[in-house]
Amino acid sequence: MNLDSRLLRYSGWPVLILLTAVVGQFLDDYALTVAASIIIYAILGLGINIVVGYAGLLDLGFAAFYAIGAYVSGLLILKQGWNFWLTLPVAIAAAAIAGLIIGYPTLRLRSDYLAIVTLGFGEIIRITVINLEVTGGPNGLTGIPPVTIAGREFVTPVDFFYLVLVFFVIVLAVTGLLARSRLAYAWRAVRSDDRAAEAVGVPTRRVKLLAYVLGAAVGAVAGPLNAAQLGTVDPSNFTFLTSLFVLLVIIIGGMGSRPGVVVGAVVVVALPEVLRTVQDYRGLVFALLLIAIILVRPQGVWPARFRPLTLPEVAPAAERRTAKGRLLEITGLSRRFGGVTAVEDLDLTLDAGEVISVIGPNGAGKTTAFNCITGMIVPSAGTVAVNGSDVAGQAPHRVAAAGLARTFQNIRLFGDMTVAENVLIGRFARDRGLLRRLGAADLEAVRRCLDFVGLSDAATRSASALSYGERRRLEIARALAADPAVILLDEPAAGANPTEKRSLMELIAQIRALGIAVVLIEHDVALVMSVSDRVTVLEYGRTIAAGPPADIQEDQRVIAAYLGVPDDPETDLVAEVLG
Amino acid sequence: MNEFVQYLVNGLTIGSFLALIALGYSMVYGVVRLINFAHGDIFMIGAFAGFSVLTTIGVTGGMALPAVLAAVVIGALTTGVVGTGIARVAYTPLLKAPQLSLFIAAIGVSLALQEGVKVLTDARFKSYPNALDGGQILGGSVRVTYGQLVLVVLAVVLMAGLWFFITRTVTGTAMRALAMDRDAARLQGINVERLILMTFFIGSVLAGAAGVMYGLYYTQISFGMGFLIGLRAFTAAVLGGIGNLPGTMAAGIFIGLVQSFSAGYISSRWTDVIIFALLIGVLALRPTGLFGERVVERA
Repeated sequence: MNLDSRLLRYSGWPVLILLTAVVGQFLDDYALTVAASIIIYAILGLGINIVVGYAGLLDLGFAAFYAIGAYVSGLLILKQGWNFWLTLPVAIAAAAIAGLIIGYPTLRLRSDYLAIVTLGFGEIIRITVINLEVTGGPNGLTGIPPVTIAGREFVTPVDFFYLVLVFFVIVLAVTGLLARSRLAYAWRAVRSDDRAAEAVGVPTRRVKLLAYVLGAAVGAVAGPLNAAQLGTVDPSNFTFLTSLFVLLVIIIGGMGSRPGVVVGAVVVVALPEVLRTVQDYRGLVFALLLIAIILVRPQGVWPARFRPLTLPEVAPAAERRTAKGRLLEITGLSRRFGGVTAVEDLDLTLDAGEVISVIGPNGAGKTTAFNCITGMIVPSAGTVAVNGSDVAGQAPHRVAAAGLARTFQNIRLFGDMTVAENVLIGRFARDRGLLRRLGAADLEAVRRCLDFVGLSDAATRSASALSYGERRRLEIARALAADPAVILLDEPAAGANPTEKRSLMELIAQIRALGIAVVLIEHDVALVMSVSDRVTVLEYGRTIAAGPPADIQEDQRVIAAYLGVPDDPETDLVAEVLG
Repeated sequence: MNEFVQYLVNGLTIGSFLALIALGYSMVYGVVRLINFAHGDIFMIGAFAGFSVLTTIGVTGGMALPAVLAAVVIGALTTGVVGTGIARVAYTPLLKAPQLSLFIAAIGVSLALQEGVKVLTDARFKSYPNALDGGQILGGSVRVTYGQLVLVVLAVVLMAGLWFFITRTVTGTAMRALAMDRDAARLQGINVERLILMTFFIGSVLAGAAGVMYGLYYTQISFGMGFLIGLRAFTAAVLGGIGNLPGTMAAGIFIGLVQSFSAGYISSRWTDVIIFALLIGVLALRPTGLFGERVVERA
């Protein structure tokens, strides 16, 4: 990126804000009041953008945080005689706690259930403040004094306009830092596929909770400002319709797009003002416009554009864990579903640089075993020791952090992120830091892993635009980004053509050369026999054979499991078919 | 004790409306994964359509069963047509768009319906003719009116009809197949688009009927009536395990009872707080609803 384009890139916001500040000089009181309302909605929009735009957690009750901010500040001012500036941190903290309270029980919910729960939460807050006497009932709080700085009151529309503009700049800066943090990448991964994100090492619960807490905290800033502008805290400002309008700010603007928030806030606040001329039909026109926008431009007016990662030019030397000896030790692993035992008493040990394959007919329990090992499901019994520490029953991201990376049978990439960003998410297993920017170590690891699987040229492409074979390799790169001790490959050759299989075999050999232990689940017997040091064969959840490939090929039970035994009706069928 | 029985009777009546509305949410969600936000407003349209019928016929009061039936049928068919039309214009073009777009379109439709009726009615409340004033079956301390009986019987008949349709007819079976896997259903030769529209039609018919029944019961309607009722019905659909029709019916009745008892023993001002707190609590403990869920999430 040269200086010119960088200048252009970073000059957008300062120019816009400067322009707004200048234009403020020429507006009349009415226009200034509307402009202040637009800015307050933009602040709300920046808040909900974190929850919905980045993390993809649909929130239909965002007005609750707005209300909590306004009421906490207003009550402290009126009942305790506090100063506006003192109430601000308390109001923000109260909203953040509310975010935690609503976020925690909803972590496991699907997005549409989430929508309705947040809606319910918004209504609970609204009805409660209307019903309680402390909060002034349906009349709300009146007599909120204007904001003062060093004795100067911000009463006139023009003063207040500049006050909220300053607030906006601060909130913008804070959300800008968030947008560039590691957390923002984690949010996008969670939005795209939260189970995959968890499996490759993103602490999804914490990441989602942070979205609620930070979004609520940002949105809460708008509350005291609204109270100061009106001189009252009016419960009719925090209805479901308010939540809806705040959501519309980012839908019209574009999810996850901060410039879009500004566009959306202008539309949502200014449009009804413009439509004042058609008084009665205002709501109807607005509703029809909304439908039109979503039909014509579902991605919003100013869709989010993410800056591509700037990877180092040259791949750094492989940073290798000096892991030696026993990397994976599984003993007595079992999993029962009701009366069915899907996996029974599985033992598996793996040293550095070894390749073990787990094979078996369909339904033998391979995938269940895999899921138990990686923490996707909790095993009924047994231990899984990675690098000496037992991880059985722990959350997938902890298993990943312990040094066990995986790929998926039905490839699970983050489709709306680039190839490089996909690999970056794999880094969270190694480094869970969220509230800081990407480090050089992150970018070097991405570069190294992309080079390793030969996808460096595709770094800035969208993951969903890759070919099937490339996507398989990208999954492996993402797993390697964690610098794992053990890597589990779930049917990596499924659907691959002979050329792709050959390059996969080479890749496995290279991974083993790094000192990483490889567990392979595969149907392709030829591939398994050629790359594995040892093979474990499962049938009906039980281990029926384990040993070097040559022995397995001779093992009568294995042959029987795959081809059937004499006098078995199924074998006769096979014989008939084979003729 | 009498009080308790009275609340029970009222709760069952309200619950039967709620169940009818909740079924529409549940069915539509089943086939297109959309929380049809405008469904509560379809219910409101039904109430107004029924109102027009009754005032046109000129019923003022008393027990006018044929007129009531006419109002329910015409009201239900009106919403059926309106609901299907809306789905055709605003929803089906977005079936392949991101899920959220569809949801936002539904919000837009909801606002448009409310605002449209608001303009048409000058934002005034309308008084429904008291066409089910047939006196009481049980007098004394527990009051059960013939009106309540008629409404509950109507609701049961509609639900039984739906149940028969879904489980015993070819189209109903196709609908269930569609809810499980749209692509597989298409490959079996099911006309998916038509069936989706039919789902909207049936859901809207039930909501429209419920709207007329609501008007007859509460005798007052307005453009904004669909919002809270819609939310309560949606809560029922979620509690019942959305897509699970028997569960939805049961949860509708349950929410009706909660509404009646909380209004009776606590205060109607807190009713919605209680209902939503219940919703959050249940979902926190059982993320798939009280009665489990039949719908499988698509990978």
